[in-house]
Amino acid sequence: MISSISKSPLYPIANCRSIAFFGASNNFSRMGTGILRAILSGDFEGPIYPIHPKEKTVLNLTAYEDIEDIPEIVDMVFIVLPTKIVVETLEACGKKGIRHAVIVSAGFNEVGGKGVEMQKELQEVAKKYNIRFTGPNCIGVINSHAKLNGTIFPYEGKTGFIGMASQSGSFITQMINYLNNRFGQNFSTAFSLGNEANVDIVDCIEYLGACPNTKVIGLYIESIRRGQEFIKIAREVSKTKPIIAFYAGGSETGKRACLSHTGSLSGPDRLYDGVFRQSGIIRARSIEELFDFCYAIGSSPLPESNRVIIQTHSGGPGAAAADACERSGLELPSLSPETLEKLAPFIPHTGNANNPIDITFTKSQSDFFKDIPTALLEEKEADGILVYFLTPPAMLRSALMTMGVSEDELEATAKEIVDQHSKLVASLAEKYQKPIIGFSFLTRDDHSIKCLQDRGIPVLLSPERAARAYGAMVEYKRLREKIIQSGE
Amino acid sequence: MNLIKTAIAKGQTALSEFQSKQVLGSAGIPVTQEILVSSADEAIKAAEKIGYPVALKACSWELMHKSEAGCIELGLADQESVQEAYNRICEKIQTPLEGVLVQEMLKGQREVVVGLNRDPQFGACVMLGFGGVMTEVINDTVFRVAPFDKVEALDMINELKTSPMLGTFRGQESADLDAICHTLTAIGQLGMENESIAEIDINPLIISPDGNIKAADALIILERSE
Repeated sequence: MISSISKSPLYPIANCRSIAFFGASNNFSRMGTGILRAILSGDFEGPIYPIHPKEKTVLNLTAYEDIEDIPEIVDMVFIVLPTKIVVETLEACGKKGIRHAVIVSAGFNEVGGKGVEMQKELQEVAKKYNIRFTGPNCIGVINSHAKLNGTIFPYEGKTGFIGMASQSGSFITQMINYLNNRFGQNFSTAFSLGNEANVDIVDCIEYLGACPNTKVIGLYIESIRRGQEFIKIAREVSKTKPIIAFYAGGSETGKRACLSHTGSLSGPDRLYDGVFRQSGIIRARSIEELFDFCYAIGSSPLPESNRVIIQTHSGGPGAAAADACERSGLELPSLSPETLEKLAPFIPHTGNANNPIDITFTKSQSDFFKDIPTALLEEKEADGILVYFLTPPAMLRSALMTMGVSEDELEATAKEIVDQHSKLVASLAEKYQKPIIGFSFLTRDDHSIKCLQDRGIPVLLSPERAARAYGAMVEYKRLREKIIQSGE
Repeated sequence: MNLIKTAIAKGQTALSEFQSKQVLGSAGIPVTQEILVSSADEAIKAAEKIGYPVALKACSWELMHKSEAGCIELGLADQESVQEAYNRICEKIQTPLEGVLVQEMLKGQREVVVGLNRDPQFGACVMLGFGGVMTEVINDTVFRVAPFDKVEALDMINELKTSPMLGTFRGQESADLDAICHTLTAIGQLGMENESIAEIDINPLIISPDGNIKAADALIILERSE
């Protein structure tokens, strides 16, 4: 393990203070131009030096004909050039004294033939000049805390806590909007790795493990090249930081003619199941799960046990959550007499105080957001709650109108009320330090969900997804304890 | 390991069951009590030493999947059956034999498979699965990359869907989990320390009603030298 984050080869890439850029022009259809535009739209604060053989300016920045001509030795260089001139370009950067690069250009190992040779040449040049680089065949790097968006799509400037390393080229770029629209989240730092000719996913885990802005690490994996190191580093990092991986399985490289049962029974998918579990990594079965798990686990304290209470005021979502809990290895204990007594005033005769707690209808909204969850969080038989959040705006508005709130004040009053609710829930999360995982069929365009999420209460998009995320938290806790116990 | 070196020098691409079990036994993995014989008289003597009933198995590194070749005789309860079985094996099998194995018959209906193979990225990988003739049908297997410790081995056991059968099960004692853990970690060690071992199969590892475990059959495949 690295002794400090600044020792990582990725540190100068993710925290660069100056950039030289090959492959951007004033032609908007070029990928290089797109990436440079994204960097500029992200308000990157350091100097950027485009290198261009003909243009005097590129996207209003002074352009330089040759890397030799730029006035400083930059922290990092982007190379988005035709394959055949990438090696010589990296060499020129090396001569200039530049030691870090993101090589976006494709056409190397992934195409075979001459590309394989060129990738070797790239590695040799890097070795000669002590250069560390990501790619080739990758789409850049994001550090939302350093206003660096070195990818192809611009995004709204928001910071996040999910650290990501991806072996799929533009995947990280596409997921920024997804995270923002569903959860109001973003990557803290994200690396696209491409062919991993120099820096690989193990380096990323090590970096993200040490990154103070990263609460949870997400991995998109196609194949692991340094197997033993992967396990070693992931075991170390997962003692303090959760790692969630999505493996796009089925790589045939692991298979070969085997004579034993063991050989015929093994395949990369099963092996990766074992590798992840051994490494303390939670395996997500879909991309949705990958980010659900990252989001929930990064937002919440870990549950002490697998015993959870479901709070709902609708039978269907509650039953669906209960069903999914069982499949995710969670238990739904019955409530103790003390808790039942506390709940009695709040649950109408139409409701149900068995777990799931189905309130059906609350006389006062604050019951649902304060008194009831308080009683459930104090319950000794369980260690966390899953809550169905539903405050339909139309219902709230009509209630307010009945109460005599005027048309002009309606919108502001409704917003104020849902904001108060989210404050109540957030203060309970703070006070009890137990998981409160929400679920709803409403999304962030509804103010109530936005408020909850922005106050740090994870709200997932269905009962099943919330239950699975809760199950992943329990599983992470168990894996972490196992690794700490084995000590090494 | 000398036994492996000698086998490779002789051009073997696998170890016989007898040799495989010697390798496993030296790593502290419990194996069946067995004696290699080369005549019917020796077989009877061996059977008496081990105690009836016994099993007879044709033993050669070239016989990798014995049940299919029809060279196993099970549940032999007296001298006469041992003699007859010995003769049947010698008639049936054309492959040159190292000898015939006289082996104790294990009691126990619970069977697991333990194995080792090599992955190009991860190296030696250890497998644990539901064992016996239904192995491929039940298809319940878990993997770890060597080296790993007892804590990890125990997690492997818990990961099996069929792991409840290793606890107290239908009037039988819980399996000796310590011994299973040791078997798993030791297989991993064998893989780490012997580059010339390509694959290992222990199928089945039988769990007796009192919970003890023993390898009933074993196969070590050697790395084909280029």
